[in-house]
Amino acid sequence: MTIIKRGQGLLYMKVGKHAQEPLEAIIARKRKEIEDAGYALWGYGGNTCHPMSMVQPFVRDFQRRGGVIYLCMEKMDSQNVAPQSRADEFSVDGIRWEKIPLPIKVVGSRYALAIKNLHSEDFRISLEKTRVAIGRSMGKPGNKYIAGRVDKACLECTEDMPAEPEESSGVHIDLVAEIVDPYAVFVRNLT
Amino acid sequence: MYYYLHMTERPDIDLRDAVNAVSDVVQNRPRPLREFDQIYMKTADMVLQSELVAHWADGKKLAFIGDGDSISVCVAYLKKRGIVGYGPSEITVFDFDERICGAITRFAERENLTQIQSQLYNCLDPFTWPSDFDCFYTNPPWGESNLGESVKVFVQRGLEATAYVGEGMVVIADDLELDWPKQVLANVQAFALQSGSFVQRMMPRLHAYHLDDNPSLRSCNLIFKSLPGGRPPGPSERITDASRLSHFYGRDCPPRVHYVREKMRLDYGKANENEYHFEPMRADNDDNH
Repeated sequence: MTIIKRGQGLLYMKVGKHAQEPLEAIIARKRKEIEDAGYALWGYGGNTCHPMSMVQPFVRDFQRRGGVIYLCMEKMDSQNVAPQSRADEFSVDGIRWEKIPLPIKVVGSRYALAIKNLHSEDFRISLEKTRVAIGRSMGKPGNKYIAGRVDKACLECTEDMPAEPEESSGVHIDLVAEIVDPYAVFVRNLT
Repeated sequence: MYYYLHMTERPDIDLRDAVNAVSDVVQNRPRPLREFDQIYMKTADMVLQSELVAHWADGKKLAFIGDGDSISVCVAYLKKRGIVGYGPSEITVFDFDERICGAITRFAERENLTQIQSQLYNCLDPFTWPSDFDCFYTNPPWGESNLGESVKVFVQRGLEATAYVGEGMVVIADDLELDWPKQVLANVQAFALQSGSFVQRMMPRLHAYHLDDNPSLRSCNLIFKSLPGGRPPGPSERITDASRLSHFYGRDCPPRVHYVREKMRLDYGKANENEYHFEPMRADNDDNH
């Protein structure tokens, strides 16, 4: 894994069972979506990674500088009880809405990340060597930010991280995907 | 239960009555839209802030340049209920969210608050109302991505409302660790000085918010007063300068909505019907526990 360099941006997220669907089933379904549609929409919620005010400008900013933003996911035990309602439409700006392509299924979420190249990984990130890259907590060390109810963040690495950090340091990343245009969207169901 | 207002000459207030009054206002507020930085102040801080504003603007004509929190309504309501014996003589709330304006109008009608009104107004448009306010209050987008440019726009409209001869209370971020609130505070103070006002008082880290990604972030009160002989630099004009707008609501988030329009509901204040449905009681219900 070579993505952890000083100045690199990454979107960190804890993931697990969602809307009564086990994580492994979600991963298999998202890989199939990428095969069929060229990309998948990875649903999420909360306000810490708002599509328009956080994720879109964060990814655009790093892409302008020639970088790629990776979604780095840490598996966790979750008892997520989001409803199983499937989203019908997505919107980049919350004003113009489009039908979600048939192969893509987003369930129980308000927002979604556009991703491809979803694959398993096995490495660690030292969150104290990151800082929040955007928003009202901009500049806060990642390890202080990811606490309590905050389980996802747009982060910038402030130092290179060794390819094999000590076993006990940082968070374990199990799953990685590339975030692709339009990066993050709103989703809604019509019924 | 009485609350002693430290270091002031104001009489104690009944804290239970004050909290219950603010609770009435909170119940009436529309839900916040995060994309426009509508993030609501926590209720205890609203109580103290409303009392402070009521005293600061006692007997004066007060303009709110935006007011998602509904501090304006709290101020008027505390006085109406006799919880405080002071308050502004007249309050006008200027906000681009018709839901907020509507909530103020409905609450004022219901509680017979005759001294408060609301006007649908986007602060990027020229300020065309009479500039005869004595003071203004604003809690704007905090400008973390634009070094306070969005704050300056709201402050400018407040100064215009007072014809540059009044006072203003500006509520913005204040944090000991983060860099950006310090830069914004410095830039806003510099802007006020350039506009003929000086900082009369700064009350650090007073208010907490329902802010899930940084619950420890506080805001301060920055109170400005115009220098003697203040006058408007010119007529109020539409703000079109891209450098002021490109990061208005956050990085790469310029304003793209002129007004938030309210979808009128006959059951305002009740649970929305799309949140639930009724399952009828079955005749054999007693057999199904």
